[in-house]
Amino acid sequence: MKKVLTDIFRVCSRELHLVFKDEGVLIFFFLLCAIYPVLYSIIYNPEVVRDEPMVVVDDCRTQFSRDFVRRLDAAQGVRVVGYAASMQEAREAFSQKRAYAVLYIDRDFSADVVRDGKQGHVSLYCDMSVMMRYKAFLTALSDVQQEVGNELHAHTIEPFISQKGSIIKSRQVPVGNTAMGIASAVLLFILPLVLQQSMLLGIGMLHGGSIERRRKNGGVDPMAIEAGTMATVLGKTLCHLVIYVLPTIYVLHYVPMMFGFPQHANVWHELIIAVPFLIACSFMGQTLQAVVNERESVFLLFVFSSVVFVFLVGASWPRYLLSTKWHAVANCVPSTWMCNAYVLMQSGGAQLHHVAHYWRMLFAFAYCVERFVNRRRYRIWQERSAARPDALLRYDLIKNGIN
Amino acid sequence: MVRRYIKNSLVRGCVQIVRRPMYILLMVIMPLLCAWFLMDLMKTGSVERVPVGVVDLDDSGISRQVSRRLGAFQQVDIKRRYHNFEDARQALMRGDIYGFFFIPEDFEESALGGRQPMLSYYVNYAYYAPASMQFKGFKTISVLGNAGVVQTMLRMVGMRDGEIMSALQPVSTHVHMLSNPFTNYNFYLSTSFVPCFFALFVLLVTAFSIGMELKSGLCRQWLRTSGNDMWLAIVGKLLPQLLLFTVVGWTIQFMMYRVYDLPLNCPPSHMLLAMPLFVLANQGFAVMMFCVAPNFRYGTTVCTLLGMLSFSFCGFSLPAESIYPWVQSISYIVPVKYYFMLSVDQAVNGLDLYYSRYYYVALIVFAVAPFLLLWRLKRECENPVYVP
Repeated sequence: MKKVLTDIFRVCSRELHLVFKDEGVLIFFFLLCAIYPVLYSIIYNPEVVRDEPMVVVDDCRTQFSRDFVRRLDAAQGVRVVGYAASMQEAREAFSQKRAYAVLYIDRDFSADVVRDGKQGHVSLYCDMSVMMRYKAFLTALSDVQQEVGNELHAHTIEPFISQKGSIIKSRQVPVGNTAMGIASAVLLFILPLVLQQSMLLGIGMLHGGSIERRRKNGGVDPMAIEAGTMATVLGKTLCHLVIYVLPTIYVLHYVPMMFGFPQHANVWHELIIAVPFLIACSFMGQTLQAVVNERESVFLLFVFSSVVFVFLVGASWPRYLLSTKWHAVANCVPSTWMCNAYVLMQSGGAQLHHVAHYWRMLFAFAYCVERFVNRRRYRIWQERSAARPDALLRYDLIKNGIN
Repeated sequence: MVRRYIKNSLVRGCVQIVRRPMYILLMVIMPLLCAWFLMDLMKTGSVERVPVGVVDLDDSGISRQVSRRLGAFQQVDIKRRYHNFEDARQALMRGDIYGFFFIPEDFEESALGGRQPMLSYYVNYAYYAPASMQFKGFKTISVLGNAGVVQTMLRMVGMRDGEIMSALQPVSTHVHMLSNPFTNYNFYLSTSFVPCFFALFVLLVTAFSIGMELKSGLCRQWLRTSGNDMWLAIVGKLLPQLLLFTVVGWTIQFMMYRVYDLPLNCPPSHMLLAMPLFVLANQGFAVMMFCVAPNFRYGTTVCTLLGMLSFSFCGFSLPAESIYPWVQSISYIVPVKYYFMLSVDQAVNGLDLYYSRYYYVALIVFAVAPFLLLWRLKRECENPVYVP
């Protein structure tokens, strides 16, 4: 037992030494965690869509139709950039991207609504390339439609129902993300993911470095510590945990503070939920490092997985709509559990006992990866490299076309 | 002589791809898998049946009718009915539901007595797309609830149904969602994210294949094969990759427009032509990065950084006009921005080729630009210094 503890400590201190000697790994572990969340936050910081350009074809040309357009122009999401004489002209503006929507006001619009007491018609033709843009137009139009309707009610309905305003009132209460902005929604999912990806990249690069040393030294890594499988895995994990204390606090606590994202979680709760997450990430990194053969191939092998994981955590496409196979895949990634727990805590104000399931799943994931995948793979790898130390060198020569 | 150099460079480029399984993995298997992943993930199209709760403290005829009508909506799926506010709040915190509809006590009595009862809907905006859907459903039911009561009252005073409709909603709106009439979410995300994913692979593979020459010290051999001509060396290395990537890109386009039925409102040739240009533009961009910073780590890091940030700053989710202008201007330095605008113009909106002319030109400029700076890469190749 004592030997195991000593070995864990030795592996941990050697890993720390290797990390701080390696500029590339330091960039992943610290600089990436420092810069990426800030960059993403800045990009999404405007939060909501404002003043999307719209062009109007007003065939009615009355005070009522002009008033309708003025109200639309005053809405947050829409800016009326001009009137077009015909739909052809409006289409030209649309094609040249001077406007992303066209509002067509019917010739009889004002006569129908004001004089004849009929329904008046307006048509919105909307560009559908970006969802938030379409939503801005739609929200503005339905708000103005309702506002105009309410004013007209005063003449048509209220005398009959002998009541001012609507009979049943309704209100929306946004929970958590009260600004209803995209940054406050998406960024909270991305923050824990940055921690996970930076750790995967760093671990992969460290392993790549070790493989390169083996190649140069006839299959032996002079910097490796002779220790049992469990001590090696746990020692490295301990090192990653120690390194990630600061980045975790910064990313999970200070970045939301800097950009005014919802911040209802207690910092201690954030750290408590982060412990199994970081352990799980470290184990996963030590498992996936098997595919890395040189330092820089981590860029190719791990970087794109970030986008896959963003979709699997449910930031863009909700998790309950995932098919069974993608649900199963998502469950095998620590970020899925961590990001959702973090969002519930930060945005929804959940306490630890609310997210206990996520916390348990992170531990279960970490245990399964370590017990059934990682440890076994380490053992096989150690046996193979002991049996044939020059295998790596041969592979390297073949790859570069040298016989 | 030149012909031999061309042949040697091309053979070297091909051999490199074949010898390392990683190239095949990242040039063929992963781009196709990732494209399939995105489109298969969202194949149901729209976000609907959002799990929500209902808190009905009134439990009267009208309140039950309201919640029954809500349950019939496509947008929401009532997972549970709660007997008090606190239970619903706890469920929201646990993530069991995404929001809940609250009907207060004495709702029926207040409505009939003209005391204007308040219906509230609590929506968790941490989940953006489900929140929008819930809002739509909750808002509609609230408006309809009000309209239902008013309609009954107006009928009682003798109004006809046509008059009631125009009195309740004097202005009717027809929304024409061009090329995406069902607000299919897959159309939005796949049109932008799939090419962006593909661009990331092209950038990474190009950067890696050049960087490995610098790192392994084989760059002098690389130059020798092409008769010390950097131009030829680059073409020899990247042409086989271009061909392979183009075929993969076309396969992805086939998946997008034929298998998953994304809108293609232009002649297919416009998009087919755009694909090799897009690959070339990304390769050009990666080479450019290496010419500016002829170092494995810096070149690859910049390509990775911009490739990843492209997903955010190119205006796929938050429209470009709403992003800070200085961030917006950065987005114009990556090729995927032009490909996105081109595919929106051509495939989604079906505009004339004339309106997309600048985007095609921009892609060509990306492909040609690095040749002006190749001398820097050549200098590095002649005296490689590897910084780990």
